[in-house]
Amino acid sequence: MSPARRYRIHHVTRYSYDQQMEACYNRAVLRPRATAHQQVVSATVTLSPEPELVSEHLDYFGNHSLYLETRTAATELEVVAEHVVVVDRPRPVAADLNSWTVAQAVAWAREQADPLELVDFGLPSPLVEITGEVRRFAGTAFGPETALGDALTGLLATIGAELRYAQGSTSVKTTLSQLLELRQGVCQDFAHLAAGCLRSAGLPTRYVSGYLETIPAPGAVKLRGADATHAWVSVLTPQGWVDLDPTNDQFVGSAHIVTAWGRDFSDVSPLRGVVLTEAAESALHVAVDVESEVTD
Amino acid sequence: MTASASEHVTPLLDAYRKHPDRAAFDELVTPDGVRQQAAALAEAVEALGPAGLLVARAEVSRQVAADGISAADSAARRLPWLVDPLPVPLPGAEWSALEVALDQRARLLDLVLVDLYSERRLLRRGIIPPGVVLSHPDFARVATGCFGGRGRQLRLTATDLGRGPDGSWLAISDRTQAPAGAAYAMATRRIVAKALAGLHRDSDLARLRNYFLTVTGSLLAAAPSDTETPRVVIHSPGADSPYSFDQGFLATLLGFPLAEADDLVLSGGRVWLRAGDELEPIDVILRRVDDALADPLEYRSDSEVGLPGLVEATRRGTVTVANPVGSAILDNPALAPHLAAVCREVLGEELHLAAPQTWWAGDPTQAQHLLTHLQRLVIKPVARGREPVRYGWLLSSAERDQLAARIGSEPWAWCGQEPLELSTAPVVTSAGLEPRRFVLRTFGVATDDGYQFLPGGLGRVAGSTAEFTVSSGAGALAKDVWIPATAPRSASVIARPRLSVARPSVVTPRVAGTLMTIGRLAERAESTARLIKVADDLTEDFGSHAGSAGAEAVHALLRAVTGITGAVPRPEETNLAYLARVTGDANEPGGVHHSVRRLIAEAREVRDILSVDSWSVFNRLERTLSTDPLRGAGLQQQLADVLESLLAFSGIMAQSMVRDSSWGFLEAGGRLERAAHTVKLLRFALLSQAEDRLRPSAELAAEAVLRAGESIITHRRRAASGTGPATVTESVRQLLIHDHANPRSVANQVVSLSEALRLIGDDRLADQAAAVAAEVDAFAATGIDDGAEQLAVLSQALAGLAERIAVRHFSRQTTRRGVEATGLEAR
Repeated sequence: MSPARRYRIHHVTRYSYDQQMEACYNRAVLRPRATAHQQVVSATVTLSPEPELVSEHLDYFGNHSLYLETRTAATELEVVAEHVVVVDRPRPVAADLNSWTVAQAVAWAREQADPLELVDFGLPSPLVEITGEVRRFAGTAFGPETALGDALTGLLATIGAELRYAQGSTSVKTTLSQLLELRQGVCQDFAHLAAGCLRSAGLPTRYVSGYLETIPAPGAVKLRGADATHAWVSVLTPQGWVDLDPTNDQFVGSAHIVTAWGRDFSDVSPLRGVVLTEAAESALHVAVDVESEVTD
Repeated sequence: MTASASEHVTPLLDAYRKHPDRAAFDELVTPDGVRQQAAALAEAVEALGPAGLLVARAEVSRQVAADGISAADSAARRLPWLVDPLPVPLPGAEWSALEVALDQRARLLDLVLVDLYSERRLLRRGIIPPGVVLSHPDFARVATGCFGGRGRQLRLTATDLGRGPDGSWLAISDRTQAPAGAAYAMATRRIVAKALAGLHRDSDLARLRNYFLTVTGSLLAAAPSDTETPRVVIHSPGADSPYSFDQGFLATLLGFPLAEADDLVLSGGRVWLRAGDELEPIDVILRRVDDALADPLEYRSDSEVGLPGLVEATRRGTVTVANPVGSAILDNPALAPHLAAVCREVLGEELHLAAPQTWWAGDPTQAQHLLTHLQRLVIKPVARGREPVRYGWLLSSAERDQLAARIGSEPWAWCGQEPLELSTAPVVTSAGLEPRRFVLRTFGVATDDGYQFLPGGLGRVAGSTAEFTVSSGAGALAKDVWIPATAPRSASVIARPRLSVARPSVVTPRVAGTLMTIGRLAERAESTARLIKVADDLTEDFGSHAGSAGAEAVHALLRAVTGITGAVPRPEETNLAYLARVTGDANEPGGVHHSVRRLIAEAREVRDILSVDSWSVFNRLERTLSTDPLRGAGLQQQLADVLESLLAFSGIMAQSMVRDSSWGFLEAGGRLERAAHTVKLLRFALLSQAEDRLRPSAELAAEAVLRAGESIITHRRRAASGTGPATVTESVRQLLIHDHANPRSVANQVVSLSEALRLIGDDRLADQAAAVAAEVDAFAATGIDDGAEQLAVLSQALAGLAERIAVRHFSRQTTRRGVEATGLEAR
């Protein structure tokens, strides 16, 4: 059992241009959603310059989606998200999942899962193609008769062994075929690959976006992806949705703060926009701080 | 159901009936006669005979060219719309039954659309397998929850129908995201009605006009708020899009303007039309931009034709989009097998309109059937436009294996359909009547209590007898479809247009700029043609007398042609060849043909504003300029024809356009161009003569300039009556620059320009133009010797005005860039 933790998240995104932008339309999926294991104490998103319109709705997947419209000319747009979230998620134990084989878990999902979720998270999606290479990659980690817990542990280990964490080699549009060619990427690539492998086996799998707590304990290895937005996957099992972090080869406990989920990155991109500008040069600055304290 | 044709000799129909490619069901003939509803047509066909039919066919092509009706199979290639002169008459009772079936289908699809983007009950309850929708690339998750508007969401529908061997109609596919073709149907009707005028007059047909009135009313009624005067625009991807003719003509039929991305702005969660410095709120958008390009914020960020925030505006309910973003999901063959069950469920009715039997490979049992019978099925990807449709029997066994493997790896993306042996309809060819496969696209619009349909719709036949299907872009021909006037359902269900208060038309910066360019190009073509005509005439008279006064005058005029057009004579080129080239070579910038081509291209951008009569003038211009004057009737005749057409164009514009700001921009372009041209003409043709104005060559040149400036008669009348200077050299400046009463003078142009600018509502620039006019008047008092300097100053003043008009009125929106930020990328 990981203890409940209270987090204060400060997430700044800044676009800078060498010429004025006349207007800027943004869609932000930045406000964390409440879940069975996560309570959102406060969540604010502010813009500078002052937006003409901020409007929020719950999207298809139940995430908080913000429409931000700025029509003040400026050379810089800053989006600041500040959240206080309490997370109390018991870390799943692989052995508990070994009561089922992968094939049994798949059969269970076909019978018991929400029929819409079964399709939404079971089939390929724009950034999660299920190609022969993906199937082969999954096959090296587990098979239908592998015990479910071992299969998940094996997949995490295989991804960790086969892929190198490296920033800058992939983009928000990298496909799984390209990734398997490159053999390196960042957390969203790791998550897309994990989702592809699990879906190829018939297990419905979500892509989850969020944050990861920095663990500054003496002697401990600093987790990759800390102090940035993070991404992992959530797979449907007979025990419910189980979150796995393929970037850090671990099952997810209370160190991960969920912002949103979807089929892949394209459903839950934290901030995307259309900017009206003649600028030739632009710079993007993102800073994330996650402070935590143990609660009772 | 067949009328006896035995008492007449019917060689054409007899031959057609025996044609080996005629289908089991033919729209004209039966095995032993003709269809009852086609009796009059059959008689007309025999009466015309093979020669008469070919005349009708030629008349149809001529009319298509004259009306400028184009079809494009890509942005780059513009092809003429192909029309067969013979209509397809349908019996009234058959159409009435089809209307009932189509109305049911539209009501059904509308309910499906609303459910899929709100509660998805049909999927949850398995009435439609969830995979049929959720795996489809056109299911727009971003558009869920946006539908809460008034009335029906599926405001416009189009369905492609085909008739099977037993004569029953089947729905082949639905076009729901941006249904195209209704305006083509209207254009086709007009052409066929002219080509077969007698038959058309004697047939009491259901008119098409009423449908478009209903569309107008339906769109006005769709406005989200109770505004008295809803503003509706047709959102178009632009004049380069494949269906730009359909969009432009639809705009004129409906009375709503075309708006492109640059014309529209999202502000405060509303859509606005850029109107000069103001923004006009838009209540309803008739969308002709595909889902995937409609909103670059939610979809493809590289879309230049979409509007960022459009989906959000729909969600906020500030604008109604017809059809809403996400409608493409209905154009999905995998829905077909489930519609009967859906119909029972949501309407409590049996489905009237069947589809060819369809198997969706996403279902393992159906996939099995599909793969087993691959060889005889039509294999369709569930999403249109990404992959071609395949016909199992046309594939090699290797291709079939490949396809089967693909279906195996992505079964949800594929359907198999029972092939439909379509009916045939006769097409006029030089070898007699030929049977071609026939499909019918129907068009419906939502009214208060159901859907109303365009009587008949747009018929299409295949490009050759060999083709099994009818696809656009493969040389398919349009067919007019005739329905008896009594057949369509009564008009009592028409949604009445709200009475709307007349309001001034809005001209967006893009349209303003285009109109001014049209004004300039029409005037440029005309004044250049006039100058070349005079230069050619002078060359004819004096060209051979080197060193004479006449030759010097010719030289002065040629210098003006070169100076004004920028086209330089080539070495060894005769004067005549040079002038013919500047006239007819479309690749010579500044030449007449080049200006005309640009004029036509610009006119396509604002098809909704220009009179339809413009297109026959353009067609004539293009034909005239494409002939070689050195072989045909001669350059003088060619230029005379060109001038006649250009005068006809300015006449059409002057007589058809309301004097509002649209006219103001067109007029400003024309006046600016004529003033600039006249100033240049004087500078290039006369100035070198200034030091020796008494030489005979100066006299000749000045006379030629007066002729090029259409002012020689005025000069002669005034000289004869003693009210003007006696010599042309004295007259030329007076008449072409200063005389306010002369519609060719610079002073007159600048005053008219000032008035046009006032019409546009720009008093500041109008005052500046008036100030230029005053300067022109002031020049009149000065001596002749500083003429060169005056003209240079005037030239600059005119260029300055043109630039300021552009800056103030034609500003385009800033370039859009898509951005996407992840914390990971930034590090």
